[in-house]
Amino acid sequence: MKFADIIALAWRNLRQARLRTSLTVIGVIVGVSAIVTMVSFGLGLQNNLLRDALARIDLFTSITVMGPGADAMLAMRDRVSNSTSSDGGDDNGASNEDKSDGDASAKPEPSPPPVRMLDDAAIAELQGIDGVRYVLPNFSFSNYVRFEGRTRRAFIGGAPQSIDYNPRFKKFLAGHHFTAEGAREVVITERFISWVRSKKRINGDRRRRPGGPFQMAPTKSEEERKREATGILGKEIVLLTLREQDAAPSSVFGIPIINVSSNENGDTPSEFGEQYEESAYRVVGVLKAEDGFDINNFMETDMFIPLDQAKEFRNANRDPMSRIGELLAGDTGYQNAEVRVADVSEVERIKEDIKKRGFRAWSFTNQVEEVRRVFLIVNSALALIGGISLLVASFGISNTMIMSIRERTREIGVMKAIGGSDGEIMRIFFVEASLIGLAGGAMGVVGGWGIDRLANLLANRWILKQAGQAVRHIEFFSIPWYLSSGAILFAIVISLIAAIYPAMRAAKVDPIKALRYE
Amino acid sequence: MKAETVRALAEVSVAVEPSEFIAILGTSGSGKSTLLNLFGGLDRPTSGEILFDGKSLAPLSSWEMSRYRLSRVGMIFQSFNLIPTMTARENVSLALAFAGLSKSDRRRQSLDLLDRVGLSKRADHHPSELSGGEQQRVSIARAIANEPQVLLADEPTGNLDSSRAAEVMGVLDEMRRRDGKTIVLVTHDQELADQFATRVIRLKDGRVVGSG
Repeated sequence: MKFADIIALAWRNLRQARLRTSLTVIGVIVGVSAIVTMVSFGLGLQNNLLRDALARIDLFTSITVMGPGADAMLAMRDRVSNSTSSDGGDDNGASNEDKSDGDASAKPEPSPPPVRMLDDAAIAELQGIDGVRYVLPNFSFSNYVRFEGRTRRAFIGGAPQSIDYNPRFKKFLAGHHFTAEGAREVVITERFISWVRSKKRINGDRRRRPGGPFQMAPTKSEEERKREATGILGKEIVLLTLREQDAAPSSVFGIPIINVSSNENGDTPSEFGEQYEESAYRVVGVLKAEDGFDINNFMETDMFIPLDQAKEFRNANRDPMSRIGELLAGDTGYQNAEVRVADVSEVERIKEDIKKRGFRAWSFTNQVEEVRRVFLIVNSALALIGGISLLVASFGISNTMIMSIRERTREIGVMKAIGGSDGEIMRIFFVEASLIGLAGGAMGVVGGWGIDRLANLLANRWILKQAGQAVRHIEFFSIPWYLSSGAILFAIVISLIAAIYPAMRAAKVDPIKALRYE
Repeated sequence: MKAETVRALAEVSVAVEPSEFIAILGTSGSGKSTLLNLFGGLDRPTSGEILFDGKSLAPLSSWEMSRYRLSRVGMIFQSFNLIPTMTARENVSLALAFAGLSKSDRRRQSLDLLDRVGLSKRADHHPSELSGGEQQRVSIARAIANEPQVLLADEPTGNLDSSRAAEVMGVLDEMRRRDGKTIVLVTHDQELADQFATRVIRLKDGRVVGSG
């Protein structure tokens, strides 16, 4: 018998018991819908965490290289000078900011391996590694700034004047980048704007500031944001620095000092003016906040000034402990540096290379893999829960088939008597089962999709409105092609398994017994 | 065509010649239906042997046996055993489908076959819309669908009144006369056996008690 005829026969059999077939198919629909809904929720969650990050490929072409810091330098020095001691400085920062990578832990050591200093020579060396686009020493420092008569503490970063290669300095809401390395110009971030424009008290709770990994799109329209940013251009931000009591040469900074006494601002009492210096910067640009997942949020940077000037400010703004540390340990170099790799597939290789050179290096790729692995487990668990309802449906299929075989015993007997083989009879029932699986699977995917859409709509309408924010639409579910096709395939396979016993029973029908009675 | 030899039941030895119309007579329980099932390849003997065309059926696999039922013998039952949800033509077509014929071939041939039993006009009727005699003629058309040499009829007129019975027997007789089919008729009706059979075998308690 041709396979097409077997399908036609199976189809005819299913149509004859329409109600029973429908009920059985509904069972499969429920099971597949459950699987699809569950897994699509897991995948949606995964996507929401990773999609924005993945979309920004620059996140994954970046390697962060960390310098040792003064404490670690001291610990290293202790170890060199006192190698008999098992652990020279066990409670200092060196062990706290231990490298998290296990590459050097092949032979257990009580102390971390020495970490190379991240100085200009090291930067140049990293720059020389094959496949590296650029190396940007990265540091920020906190400094009191005065803006529009209000003084607050801000995080200031240094930016190179040449920005061609750095994607961070390409999205300006208003204005432009520094005109020259020596220019006393500042580029502020949108975060700074929203901070200074908020009615909240200055030096208020930093946690209340907008931003964070799940940053919602700003409530203001793009035009409003632009207008606001343009309004700030040309304004002045004053950086306040403690005047060196021991008459440290202020000329080291190379920045002219504003005469404090001429300042007429009320909230900076002039009697203290002698103790700090002011450096005025003009706002030339406003950087646009990234939508979605913004890696730069970790930096919490409010503004950028030219790199060399930032270095000087940072040196001047060290707290006493850091200064002592530096005095003891010597120059500690940069806190960290960003290594930008040309090709994302080379990140791992270059990271290992950097580690071999004695630096601590960290990139995002392994974290993404980790998240993926966790979600694989989560999604499997969700699929399992959904799968239970499909398991229940499979018993329904078995039941339907056995009932159908009982009803059609005579028919099976006739088929055998006129030349149907056991295999052909069996195939008819297997095809019937897979048709049930296919129909249930396909409709189940549609059902799951429908549930997803409805749930998504309700979630966006209600739950997120409860948050009191007009936020952009969030997709909570994701049904990729492999989920829908996999679910249908799974439904067919389950149906076939459920049909094994009934089909074998059908094949074993004894035609003589089947045909004996009227 | 060589002799079809059957050793069945209790030391039964029957030889059926080509184009014979042989009637197996016996009361119920005499073993006549069992003999026919053995002939038809629905059953296998616990001991002894069935030879068809000189070859034993014993070594045939389950699948080969189904092919034997498909194309070497055709079975006709007392209760017709048509599939009630299929039309006359679909019932005949089913036998052709098992032989692997294409849909268009089946269409044509099933109509031809129904024509041979005088039912081409009733092709699209379901069994329930047909009289008993018509149903039995459909089942004859189905039995000859794959042109078997032998037709095995188990009380084909048992559920029919005498005029319908004569009609059906006429068709069977015509099969023998015109197409040279070998007919094995199982019946308890002495009159019917005498009227059509070229040879009568009497069975009692699974033994041949008379022949001729």
